[in-house]
Amino acid sequence: MLLQLKNIFKWVNSGGQRIFLLKDINLQVEEGEFISVMGPSGSGKSTLLNVIGMLDTFDEGEYHFLDESVHTLKEKHRSNLYKEYIGFVFQSYHLLDDLKVYENLEMPLLYKKFKGSERRAMVADMLDRFNIVGKKDLFPAQLSGGQQQLVGVARALIANPKLILADEPTGNLNSQQSEEIMQLFKRLNEEDGVTIIQVTHSEKNAAYGSRVINLLDGRMV
Amino acid sequence: MFKNHLKIAWRSLKKQPFFTFLNTFGLAIGMAGALLIALYINDELSYDKMFADADRIYRINADVKFGGLPEQLGESPEPMAETLMRDYPQVELAIRIRDQGSVLIRKANVTSNVKELNSAFVDSTFFKMFGLAFLDGDVTTALTEPNTLVLTRTAAEKHFGVNNAVGQEMVLNNLGTFRVTGVMEDMPKNSLLRDHTVFISMPSFQFAQIGHWGSLNYYTFVKMVPTADMAAFQEGLDSLLGRYLIPWIQDYYPGMTEASFRASGNFINYSAMPLTDIHLQSNMKTELSANGSLQNIYILSFVAIFLVVLAVVNFMNLSTAYSLKRAKEVGVRKTLGSDKSDLVRQFLTESGFICFLSLLLAVGVAFLVLPLFNDLADKAISIPFQNPMFWAILIGATLVVGVLSGTYPAFFMSRFIPVKVLKGSGLSDVGGSKVRNSLVVFQFAISILLIVATVVVYQQLNFIQSKELGYDKAQILVLEDINNANGQEQSLKREVLRLGQVQSATLSSFLPTPSARTGQTFFKEGANNQEDAINMENWRVDHDYLSTLGLELIAGRDFDVRIPTDSSAVIINEATLKTLNVSAENAIGLRISSDLGASEEDITYQTIIGVVRNFHYDSMRKNIEALCLGIGRFPGSLAIKMGTQEVTATVSAIEGIWNTIAPGQPFNYYFLDDSFNDSYDAEQRLGQIFSVFTVLSILIACLGLFGLATFNAQRRTKEIGIRKVLGASISQISYRLTTDFLKMVGWAIVISLPIGWYAMDKWLQDFSYRIEVQWWMLLLAAFLAIAIAVLTVGYQSIRAAVVNPVKSLRAE
Repeated sequence: MLLQLKNIFKWVNSGGQRIFLLKDINLQVEEGEFISVMGPSGSGKSTLLNVIGMLDTFDEGEYHFLDESVHTLKEKHRSNLYKEYIGFVFQSYHLLDDLKVYENLEMPLLYKKFKGSERRAMVADMLDRFNIVGKKDLFPAQLSGGQQQLVGVARALIANPKLILADEPTGNLNSQQSEEIMQLFKRLNEEDGVTIIQVTHSEKNAAYGSRVINLLDGRMV
Repeated sequence: MFKNHLKIAWRSLKKQPFFTFLNTFGLAIGMAGALLIALYINDELSYDKMFADADRIYRINADVKFGGLPEQLGESPEPMAETLMRDYPQVELAIRIRDQGSVLIRKANVTSNVKELNSAFVDSTFFKMFGLAFLDGDVTTALTEPNTLVLTRTAAEKHFGVNNAVGQEMVLNNLGTFRVTGVMEDMPKNSLLRDHTVFISMPSFQFAQIGHWGSLNYYTFVKMVPTADMAAFQEGLDSLLGRYLIPWIQDYYPGMTEASFRASGNFINYSAMPLTDIHLQSNMKTELSANGSLQNIYILSFVAIFLVVLAVVNFMNLSTAYSLKRAKEVGVRKTLGSDKSDLVRQFLTESGFICFLSLLLAVGVAFLVLPLFNDLADKAISIPFQNPMFWAILIGATLVVGVLSGTYPAFFMSRFIPVKVLKGSGLSDVGGSKVRNSLVVFQFAISILLIVATVVVYQQLNFIQSKELGYDKAQILVLEDINNANGQEQSLKREVLRLGQVQSATLSSFLPTPSARTGQTFFKEGANNQEDAINMENWRVDHDYLSTLGLELIAGRDFDVRIPTDSSAVIINEATLKTLNVSAENAIGLRISSDLGASEEDITYQTIIGVVRNFHYDSMRKNIEALCLGIGRFPGSLAIKMGTQEVTATVSAIEGIWNTIAPGQPFNYYFLDDSFNDSYDAEQRLGQIFSVFTVLSILIACLGLFGLATFNAQRRTKEIGIRKVLGASISQISYRLTTDFLKMVGWAIVISLPIGWYAMDKWLQDFSYRIEVQWWMLLLAAFLAIAIAVLTVGYQSIRAAVVNPVKSLRAE
């Protein structure tokens, strides 16, 4: 078991009323799963993903990741945990505009204190694997959306995470580019055994996954 | 990692050239200004420190009241040096300098004189005292004999060249022949003897060994042994009065004791002032050369600190405002595993980077404007590029500025929460606007303060220059050194008076501009005691003095050539009436004398025949004191009142007359109003320096405000779009955007005006004749600040307001 959410609640107080963003979420994710989270706008998909990614906190419930109880951890430990095991892929890619493709890929490694030679090898490997060696000295703005997201996925993968969290990874892409990214996810999941949780609006994309979770008003249905 | 930080820093700066420019330029201006001020202060602090053993050298000052008003002098009696050497083992060496002012000097075999502006009689050990070396001649024996002198390099070159001077004969003041026995290097520019070029042996001075304790005419310097206890030495100085001065006074006032001397309110307190303190802390009635002012050093230090603080504040403001654009980067970096401390380091690297860019720019700017600055400050400062210390301090200071300006933005930015900043397109409010607004208020408050200061300083200067002086300084040419005219001063005056444009002329050594003059002790007939003595200046003039200078009589009459007894008559000023305690009418006919302590039959009295309205003869910092005018011989200058026409022609006509009467003698002249203006040089400079740095600080504040306005307009694009769709007009929107900033300026005005009013009122207390800080000066400063803010912000506001809302809303 990779992670487990038990009775997770998250709310905000607005005008004296408690508005629930997540309501009694119970979820268990095994290693090697490919899960799609679906639901209408405002149903809590992204919030759930952020909670799983430890970028956001929750108000009630338990969260176990591997052997750690996330809800009891301090900020510092939490960030060490996600730093080591989780990679993020965003709808709007969030590549750093001032860095070249090569440097964007290298950045997570810098934060994990890899040595220069190791970094070079790992970046070269990733460029090779994603077939973007020719693009390594370009800036994000010089790439198409699909290519940017390719770099985004490569960056998420470079430090060998156990879990990839993707928030509408194809939301800004056309259908052909979408297709390619989803194929890539499928391959990563099947061949490399990476666990993936994606948020999506599209039935078609959801079908790539092995399990679908539907959310409505912060509740799993 | 550091390399990565640098790379990111460089690229993100390149990507926002406008922001980078504002930040770098603002900092560079602040740094350049502070650098110039630091160099100036460094120069002021360096005075007299170059002399060997400078830390062991002291000048003996005297705080004196002996009848009349108390005086503070840098000079001491003639026997002081010898006495100190003899009585105090902790005194290693003591020397005297008797300042002689300007001299006319020529080679023995030529006729035309050269004027050297500063000369002095000095003891032969003078060179040993200050560790001065000779270029030629023997430093130990050079000034041991009478009629010998030593020239500086510059002075020697005028006549002989450096290597040929020693052994040559020179004629001084047409009085005597002197032998050149040495040539020395010019005195350092930052020493108290910087203007002295001729040093004459003390034995040449006829009064140098008379043992006179009563008059204080010799600058006495002592060099203490390294272990000397200065407190004990001070006690020794205190005992000099009883041991030497009182016995000497008893020759004139038999029976006077130290107790009775003190009982009548008199005192003479000697003290030792460190040589290196003289330039900034000594403000005596006479000095070897003009001194600086500690007050100005303080003022300038404040200005320098203000400038840097303004620039740092600017940096903080712009960085946090523009951090919106970096919010996404922070978010991404955090999700990729960056620590807060990593981000702090990264942003500090960036601010450090900008600081060093600014440093380079600042040094360049300082280098370029240095000549102008030197002109303004009357200095010859250069940037010590070769000095590693200079660079070390500069880089150290830059690091401090970098940390000061970068820390807040760094911590501010590293606090961003990824979930928030990664949502949507990333452009939302980042908070911290309260801090930014207060910083803008602070900047404007300082700028307004400086504007108030500038306005008040200029108003005061204007007041001084246009104040009714009590005499007419316009169109008066002063011909100097007429004692060279071989006793033909009277015929010179007669000839000059025949020129068509000349209205009148007067022969005198005394003119109503600030200069070194000392008072003399007088007493009223029938009140010949110490206690009743009055101190007043005693000016020797001629019969045309009042008419030439336009002095106004309020009682009595002017000197009259037809009345022979007028040669022993005096005219007093209004201030003297108060000292004598009589009315103007009753003063006429009173007799006064300066022969204090003499027996009745030996006293020569002078009769008061007139009273002139008070006129300002000294700096406006001082009150008008008692003064009397009497007929004198030996005039030093001829003051000539001319018409306003053909001034140049008249001057050359006067020169023609001079050359006929005194062939070969230098024709030195100046205009009285120029000399008057020169005496307010310090205030003028202060005014100019203030205005320059006021402009700089305003510029920095404007850069910051402009940056913020630009940013603000960008941030509110959506809001503006929505408002326009809902029907707001362009003027309504620009008004809205502008008033936000004006509110801050308003706060700045509220804070700074009372402080400015208080501070400038304090500054004005220095002047006996001064303006009041008026409400309109404060209002002017406030108005200027508002106008500047509107101009700076208005452009951005209007630009944001005219954008088509379809465009701005789509972009969201």
